[in-house]
Amino acid sequence: MTPARWTALTVVAVIVVAVGIAAWLLLPSPAMSFAGGKPVPLASYAGASPTGVPAELRAADPITRGRYLAKAADCEACHTVEGGAPYAGGRPFKTPFGTMYSPNITPDRATGLGTWSDADFLRAVHKGIAKDGERLYPSFPYEAYTLMSDDDVLAIKAYLFSLPPTHAVAPPDALAFPFNHRPLMAVWSLIYNPDHRFQPRADRSPEWNRGAYLAEALAHCGDCHTARNLAQALDNRRKFGGAVTAGWRAYNITADRSSGVGSWTDDEIAEYLHAGHAAGHGSAGGPMAEAVDLSLSNLTPGDTRALVAYLRSVPAIHTPDLPAPKAEAASEMPKQMAAGAANPRGRQVFEGACASCHGWSGVSPLTDLATLTGNRAVNDPTAINVAQIVISGARRETPNGAVVMPAFGRTYSDDEIAAVANYVTARFGSTPSSITAKQVAKFRQAQ
Amino acid sequence: MTELHINGELRTVDVPPDMPLLWVLRDVLRMTGTKFGCGIAQCGACTVHVDGKAIRSCLLPVGSIGDKAITTIESVGVTPAGTRVQKAWLELEVIQCGYCQPGQIMSAAALLNAIPHPDDADIDAAMAGNICRCGTYVRIRDAIKRAAAEA
Repeated sequence: MTPARWTALTVVAVIVVAVGIAAWLLLPSPAMSFAGGKPVPLASYAGASPTGVPAELRAADPITRGRYLAKAADCEACHTVEGGAPYAGGRPFKTPFGTMYSPNITPDRATGLGTWSDADFLRAVHKGIAKDGERLYPSFPYEAYTLMSDDDVLAIKAYLFSLPPTHAVAPPDALAFPFNHRPLMAVWSLIYNPDHRFQPRADRSPEWNRGAYLAEALAHCGDCHTARNLAQALDNRRKFGGAVTAGWRAYNITADRSSGVGSWTDDEIAEYLHAGHAAGHGSAGGPMAEAVDLSLSNLTPGDTRALVAYLRSVPAIHTPDLPAPKAEAASEMPKQMAAGAANPRGRQVFEGACASCHGWSGVSPLTDLATLTGNRAVNDPTAINVAQIVISGARRETPNGAVVMPAFGRTYSDDEIAAVANYVTARFGSTPSSITAKQVAKFRQAQ
Repeated sequence: MTELHINGELRTVDVPPDMPLLWVLRDVLRMTGTKFGCGIAQCGACTVHVDGKAIRSCLLPVGSIGDKAITTIESVGVTPAGTRVQKAWLELEVIQCGYCQPGQIMSAAALLNAIPHPDDADIDAAMAGNICRCGTYVRIRDAIKRAAAEA
């Protein structure tokens, strides 16, 4: 062969490899492809329908049914700004491409959905296209909601239209070029929005299919717990393997025994989903606490069990940097620490601000919700969630009233927050963290 | 009805189980020696003993206490450590305005129960959660050491 031919062949080979890598990185990965089996149309599935409300609510009025589904889809979390009217929008979403704001979905005619027809609403939820034809950004997880049945989408609409109309205009998005061009999202949708309704797997149980519908069409667990590809679409080859979203780490919820939830019992997972807490595994904080309070705690016990059954079937993925959580409590004696864990500054913050509630052993003398022993966050050597909860605090609604952790972000410097986070992971976790003030500054900005 | 073992007596109160112990003590039982400061376990003014350990009563739901023994500032003086702490407190005139002092004394007595001869680091660890606006910290540390020395 001539040198020219060689060059041409090399160029072709390089292009083929590059296209192959790009395809691998960007290829859409359907949410339920791990399950195998044969997807069948809803109408031809032999078992009980996985869609709609659970049996307990079948006879309820349409608004109650819509409310249940809206809660299960957790519309409220994103469509409510802190301190604002529920569903009136305005919550900021910081992304690598800039900040965007959720719209008002109350039935206000001027600023909300008041003039939207059923067809408008269905198109938005299933296809990501607003009433005026504008493309929606996939921070609205329509690639998940597209799996919802028409009946369920319209039940949610009926509920939203039963709410008091709130006049509220979200701030304009601040996105970098070219992402500020909404028509581009048509390309994204074409590739990544499956745009079909939920298809049960004929070989799986009705409970599993119900759990799949809840997890994939409504609760959109993957939006936080699954890593994204270059195009910000969920990479379901790493399904539920964990990811960092909005400055918080959504942990691995696959069946991996050390880094996932494989060693939890079904009851423990169900309790965690329902109450945001499970004995021996600590409490949810940040966005997961919000998901529990606004959404998952409203599920019926049967639906929670279905969710657990589905979660259990997702293949294990190991996250190398997450050790098995330390199950034993720390010493009651303040001075007793692992060798080499001297951290006077962290200890100083801990003894003044933290020990009263969390105890020196990590087992809270006041409330189970504040127990640190076994919690994934304190067993995460990146300490990201420990730092975030110190910065922003926590507020959990329980049947016995609210339980509150103060926000210390304004009280302590980045340096002090880094020190106390490192102290906490060293004292209560299996692997100490060594985060810096610079990292804490970044965590603050990510929220 | 909830039964509580307070200062060696069995008290019965008709309160919701999520009511914090501090409210039960002050508003229901009229035992106002224990103080309300911040209500979020950040100041230590509400400290009592539950089974001998210092606990912030402002966040402790009364329904979670069961038959554990509660000791408050009203009767900590009859315990050996409490007696020594109160004596040292008076001798060194620790108190200025006094509002935080029931909590300080309860934390100090619990410390001496756990560590009879604490060093400075032990004292910091046990007392850092008890805030004093008058800044009596130096006298508090001295008084704890004196109480320990008399054991």
